[in-house]
Amino acid sequence: MLDDASASFGATTALAGITGTVPRGGSVALIGPNGAGKTTLIRAIIGAVPLARGRIDVLGTTPKRARGRVAYVPQADTLDAQFPIDALGVVLMGRYRRIGCLRRPGTGDRAAARDALDRVGLADRAGVRFGGLSGGQRQRVLLARAIAQEAELLLLDEPFNGVDSRTTDLVVDVLAQLRATGVAVVMSTHDLAVAHLTCDDACLLNTHQVAFGPIRDTLTPARLQSAYGHGAVVLADGATFVSTR
Amino acid sequence: MFRVFVEPYQSGFMLRALVEVVLLGVLGAAVGVHVLLRKLTFLTDALQHTVFPGIAIAFALQASVLLGALVAAAITVVMLVVLTRDERVHADAALAVMTVGFFALGVAVVSHRSGYASDLNQLLFGRILGVDAREVVETAVIAAGVITALVVLHKELVLMAFDRVHATALGYSLSAFDLLLDAAVALTVVAAVRAVGSVLVVAFVITPVATARLVTGSVAGAAIVGAAIAAVVGWIALSVSYEAAVNHDVRLAPGATVVVAFVAVFAVVAGAVAWRERQRSVAA
Repeated sequence: MLDDASASFGATTALAGITGTVPRGGSVALIGPNGAGKTTLIRAIIGAVPLARGRIDVLGTTPKRARGRVAYVPQADTLDAQFPIDALGVVLMGRYRRIGCLRRPGTGDRAAARDALDRVGLADRAGVRFGGLSGGQRQRVLLARAIAQEAELLLLDEPFNGVDSRTTDLVVDVLAQLRATGVAVVMSTHDLAVAHLTCDDACLLNTHQVAFGPIRDTLTPARLQSAYGHGAVVLADGATFVSTR
Repeated sequence: MFRVFVEPYQSGFMLRALVEVVLLGVLGAAVGVHVLLRKLTFLTDALQHTVFPGIAIAFALQASVLLGALVAAAITVVMLVVLTRDERVHADAALAVMTVGFFALGVAVVSHRSGYASDLNQLLFGRILGVDAREVVETAVIAAGVITALVVLHKELVLMAFDRVHATALGYSLSAFDLLLDAAVALTVVAAVRAVGSVLVVAFVITPVATARLVTGSVAGAAIVGAAIAAVVGWIALSVSYEAAVNHDVRLAPGATVVVAFVAVFAVVAGAVAWRERQRSVAA
């Protein structure tokens, strides 16, 4: 799926030599310090960042051709909390490609959106303004939007940053259910514990690829230190913590 | 009441002025809601100055003012895209340079003519009472076209404003929708600039919708309430300006009176909302 994918902005290389594959129903955690290129990689997978070198195949085709079959879940607090839209309205945005231009959401789309909200435990919050929800609830609304889209590949950018433990548990559960139906998951995170719970594989990166493979072999103390430098702390028993800054 | 708010419109020029103000208010609200969501106020502000030389040149050549403004607006949008492509030029710097440059060019063109002060006055502050039937029809055609496009593509435009990366992932062309919205803003400025002058246009686009957003929870709701505010306040302000001039011998420029009324309504509503929120937080 990723073959020596590299991206750069001007003279600055944001990302180099990412190589690996995520199978259907598979999952990979993108692990690395801030500025490591995790977000750039996610944007490259939807074709929003051109590649300087290499190639990315998404669902057997180019990133641009795969659009619509790929769902993107941003970090909730990157979106405007003052935006005049309710939770159901945000979830319906996942259906826009199915609805098509010039048409309004039908009863089927509304039912799918309500169903998706129900799956993330927010059935009773459909009419609440997006910005009026808690950070964790907003993150779940964005996951519901991806569910409503019925995508084959899910891209999540730091879905666990600043959310409550109930949201974390719920997102982990929903991702497992989606994977069981064949949906592939690519997720950037700083949370190594949740990465182990959610993902089979990990891609450890810091502007270049440090390692890509089964998560237990990839996130070793030595490799984490190599990616994070002084941002990684290894305790005597081998437990490793990484800085989120 | 009847005398102040209905009687003036029995004369043709006042009726045309009223229709023009209502059309521009509704059009301004429909476009303005997207301008606010996308934070494009700077573009609107720049356009209202950059169309000025187009109008001034057309005016000097006795050509169509609408055409002159359209050409200037198109040049603005293209130059903005080209200038901001170079990373060393920031969008705000590019806009500042274009705004003053275009505006000065317009003043230079007008100053070439005799009767300079009155021409300049008319171009800067509009001549809403001098709007002719053809101009009202042109405004109606622009309003119908722009509003139809905005209604038809409403959900996509809201999506573009809310989450551009999700829109990309779904396969929408961001640049196509950006260009469409830029064109809608440009057409609105062009339609409004003849009637209300190039200094006051931005008030029609921003103020009624900014007021509506204080009391509504959806994008469509803000556009509809904003249009209603613009139409009603525009009608009242126009009537007051007429009443003051005819029966009290106080000259109030009608275009400016409408804008002052828009701003006053915004201030009152913003104050009321802030007061209510304070009452609530005290009660809680």
